[in-house]
Amino acid sequence: MWNTGGGVTDEDRLSRAQARTIIGRVFKMASPFRKTMYMGFACVIVTTCCALAAPVIVRHGIDAGIRAKNTQALNQSVVMYLAVVALSYIFGRMLFLYVNRTGEMFLRVLRLAVFRQMQRQSMAFFDRNKAGVLVARMTADIESMAELVQFGLLQFLSAGLMLVFSIVVLLILSWQLTLVAMCVMPIIVLASIKFQHDSNKAYLTVRERVGANLSALQEGITTVRVIQAYAQEEETKAKFFTSNRALFQSHERSVRISTWYFALVEFSGVFASALMIGIGGWLVHRGDVTLGTVVAFTLLISSLFDPVQQLSQLYNTVQSAGAALSKLFAILDAKPEVDEHPAAITLPASGVLKVDNVSFTYATGEHPALNAVSISVAPGEKLALVGPTGAGKSTLAKLMARMYDPVSGTVSYGGVDLTMGSMDSLRQRIVVVPQEGFLFNGTIRDNLRIAKITATDAEIDAAVDAISATEHFAQFPDGLDTEVRERGSRLSAGERQLVALARAALVDPAVLVLDEATSNLDPGTEAEVERALERLMSGRTVIVVAHRLSTVQRADHIAVIDAAQVAEYGTHTELIAKNGRYAALANAWQTSQIVN
Amino acid sequence: MATIETDAEVATRLEFEQSQRSEGWKLLRGMLREQRRNLLLGAVIGISWAGFKTAVPQMTKNAINQGIEQDGPLVKWVVIIAGLGVLTGLLSGMRRYVAFRESRWAETLLRERLFAHVIGLNVGYHDKAQTGQLMSRASSDLMQIQGFIVMIPITLSNVIQIIAVTAILFYTDPVLALVALVPLPFVNISARRFSNRIHPASIAVQAEQAQLASVVEESVSGVRVIKGFGAEQVQFDKLRKEADDIFGETMKAAKIRSSFLPAIDVLPALGLVGVLGVGGHRVLNGQITIGDLVAFNVYLTLLIWPLRNIGMIVALGQRAAAALVRIHEVLSTESTISDPVNPQQLPSVAAGATTLGAVKFDHVQFGYSPEQPVLSNFTLDIAGGESIAIVGATGSGKSTVARLLLRFYDTNSGHVFLDGVDVRKLKLRDLRQQIGVVFEDTVLFNDTVAHNIAFAKPAARQQDLERAAKLAGAHDFIGELPHGYETVIGERGFSLSGGQRQRIAIARAIIADPRVLVLDDATSAVDPSKESEIREAMRTVMSGRTTIVIAHRPGTIALADRVVLLDGATIAAIGTHEQLAATNTRYREVLASMDQPKKVAN
Repeated sequence: MWNTGGGVTDEDRLSRAQARTIIGRVFKMASPFRKTMYMGFACVIVTTCCALAAPVIVRHGIDAGIRAKNTQALNQSVVMYLAVVALSYIFGRMLFLYVNRTGEMFLRVLRLAVFRQMQRQSMAFFDRNKAGVLVARMTADIESMAELVQFGLLQFLSAGLMLVFSIVVLLILSWQLTLVAMCVMPIIVLASIKFQHDSNKAYLTVRERVGANLSALQEGITTVRVIQAYAQEEETKAKFFTSNRALFQSHERSVRISTWYFALVEFSGVFASALMIGIGGWLVHRGDVTLGTVVAFTLLISSLFDPVQQLSQLYNTVQSAGAALSKLFAILDAKPEVDEHPAAITLPASGVLKVDNVSFTYATGEHPALNAVSISVAPGEKLALVGPTGAGKSTLAKLMARMYDPVSGTVSYGGVDLTMGSMDSLRQRIVVVPQEGFLFNGTIRDNLRIAKITATDAEIDAAVDAISATEHFAQFPDGLDTEVRERGSRLSAGERQLVALARAALVDPAVLVLDEATSNLDPGTEAEVERALERLMSGRTVIVVAHRLSTVQRADHIAVIDAAQVAEYGTHTELIAKNGRYAALANAWQTSQIVN
Repeated sequence: MATIETDAEVATRLEFEQSQRSEGWKLLRGMLREQRRNLLLGAVIGISWAGFKTAVPQMTKNAINQGIEQDGPLVKWVVIIAGLGVLTGLLSGMRRYVAFRESRWAETLLRERLFAHVIGLNVGYHDKAQTGQLMSRASSDLMQIQGFIVMIPITLSNVIQIIAVTAILFYTDPVLALVALVPLPFVNISARRFSNRIHPASIAVQAEQAQLASVVEESVSGVRVIKGFGAEQVQFDKLRKEADDIFGETMKAAKIRSSFLPAIDVLPALGLVGVLGVGGHRVLNGQITIGDLVAFNVYLTLLIWPLRNIGMIVALGQRAAAALVRIHEVLSTESTISDPVNPQQLPSVAAGATTLGAVKFDHVQFGYSPEQPVLSNFTLDIAGGESIAIVGATGSGKSTVARLLLRFYDTNSGHVFLDGVDVRKLKLRDLRQQIGVVFEDTVLFNDTVAHNIAFAKPAARQQDLERAAKLAGAHDFIGELPHGYETVIGERGFSLSGGQRQRIAIARAIIADPRVLVLDDATSAVDPSKESEIREAMRTVMSGRTTIVIAHRPGTIALADRVVLLDGATIAAIGTHEQLAATNTRYREVLASMDQPKKVAN
């Protein structure tokens, strides 16, 4: 069936130099299994030779055997033919295995390398790149190469070899007839180039419209309640039909392009063999070539034309694979921004968490998210960060846990700059509990162990007990060994939060950085989460990004962050007395709680 | 232990599957009947192509026998062959065109039928159905069917070609024909077996890829947790396992390819060897001419593709049949909510009605499943222009009240009236146009603000839009958007805050000036500090219009004239907020549970 391969947009096309670099890197990555690769190459060469040998043997049979009335020569060529067929079968089987193995091994290495490098990146990297794009790099981009690896590479190699070898063989058999064949060749070459170009464009349109059509479909299905509530079924259908018809038209257009191409290809094949017979017959009469040669040429002509077609169709596949590779290599080349210092030392067991004159920007050129902020938190102290959305309170909290490194200024713990501390000790001292408990696929226990890979079951039980959640998790059918299902869908938001808190308890850090949830939890577990949090916080240094009055009131100190700076700092009573921003905020909170 | 079916059960099941399959084929036949003229044209083109294609080797043979071996007219035959080249070229292009165009057209029409049908199915169906399932009906299942239809005209001409070539070969030399053709049926068999075996293998690869994708996905979304605890190695190990699994499955597929594809390539070559060997001797013995021998060679190559294709179409047909059954299943699902046979008209001001928008629930009994009543003996009279807040704990059936009024579901017993007319006696469109709804999860479309607001009234003028937006308190912030009312919003457009989305949804609800407004708590998804803005907008749009507010936040309740407390599937109390708050303990409890986090704060 007809396939244009992957479509490639103009911006994705690689320059010659880029292509060369990419090919070089690919071979370097493939070097651990280069033996398999060379075996694949060898198999391609053997099978290509076999394919070309067959018509030559037929020629021998006709000329030396049949026309010369030499039975022995005929039998000889039959045996040779049989041997070639057997050889091409054996090597054909090996070919698939070696070439596919090489390709899949390459993809495996690529998957692991890209993922590892992605994981080494700092948070800033994950902020800059949308999650969807990163997932696409690891999935769609790598899978787009799978086609190339499974069929393309093989076809590419054998088509290229076939083209070169068949020209050689044809020249050896008869230069006159080769010349004739070469006269038809330009038709195929030009048609293939034009087809490759047009069909690529058509394919891109089809792909775009398929996407639009699928979104229209999905939107229709997911919003069906609104559509029905407003009785807009007919209008929605009309809209969908428009997108559907547009898709049909793009399909139709791409079929039309291929119609002309395939008509021309088929014509050229027959036309070329007509020429072979015509001119060949004339040459036979003149005694320049034998009949066997003419027959061999009519059989070989397809080995000359088919590779041209194949190569032109593969061109897009290769181009889009190249584009995917260059994106993947870009990830491999990205330097992690937050990395362990070569001379990193262990952070002290306890100490003051001190932010000193810190400025921070998420992306160069953007407004600073923090501007010369200084603040310090004593051991065991509880600091609440409040302020409007986007003012920088979450950023400050993240810097205090070294999710990012400051652009200028320092964050230190017990007198040691966090950038000089070892990652291991940092993660043991300071733990971040995010707004929503994030769960991975697996059991609850697996999810807890994320926090400490080496934790024994007893340690995990102790951590759960430390936040008084033993009883709650015991209610599940398999207790802590219950599968949480996709993204923890089996657990309520409150239960997921309990898991997040138990993780923190498992690490038993000196400092806890909390991002409080803005939305309400299910009433059932709300109280339990509150209690767990209370127990977790006791005796630890706590920095909390607060959204609720209750949380703020329990803090030792409150910092109001506004416009990237610390606007106010003090205790609840002090700040209320000051009657500034905090007082206004506390007042707004208060009123929103009162009915009426 | 797996249950063991009795013979009778097996028989019934097989019969059922058989009937499903035949329903699926019936669907396909119905579709193709509408396109029969073009399909017939495709068949005629395909058959002529096969005829001309088959003639080429005959002409080659003549050219060799008469033009080269003897001193006959060579040019004549060459011209004829070239002429046949033009014809076969054109016809093969046209065959392709017709086959693809018709299959795409069938796919397009079926997709439209499917969409139109699904959009019209009752909400009860959609509450149970999975979006992904429906999506794959309309995408991958349709693709299977398209892939099958495209093969129909092609297969037809292939069959003709095979028959013609076989006939010619046997006519020329039955012995040699037998030698040449013996290996060929195996091409067909191998192609079919290959197709059947590679399909599950590639599905297994896809499944492994999906698992890897989910590891990547959770690693990216959970990056804060992973980094926070330094758990990179855990995820890396998971990924490595998935990458290894993919490798394993793809190599299984490669093995299948390696054991079939070279064989499929080699089998016809065996025929060619036979032709050279046996045929060569027959030429030497003078039984056939050398031209016959060459023609045999060419004919054999003509048979390779048709035989492979026919092998594949069997497998394609099986998959298409399964897809057809699944699509038929959706198309044969009837909507349980539909227009009445003899619809009534709603009273209107023109027809002398005084106040509009009276809603009445009369002894309504309802449950999503029969064993669990959500509402029982629910009776409520709402006067035109009155606003009612419905209060209740989670799962008390608050939202169900609105769903029954909209006729998303029908009551099990009892009646719902709008302006004195039973909602089941109204055309759905007439009923729903009189009710404006703001859903709890504000669903907006990937479209401009203007189109989103004018959703219920596509012909609305700009001033209508602005009036609705002003009432909903949305006009000001819309003016600040990059392109004002023409700003594209939604998932792929400009992202709005929860409060802004709510206000656009409110504007959408009121643009058609409905008799009844249903607000499924429009403030629940909003940051508390923004709550008051929405509440202000709600207060404005509620005035003078029948409104049912499904309240999740205490502040919203205060907007209503009367409050209905739902408890134990029925109305536990009714009165003003002050009355209930003063007299009803259960009401105070429910209020308190709704305000849980803030209670902790106090």
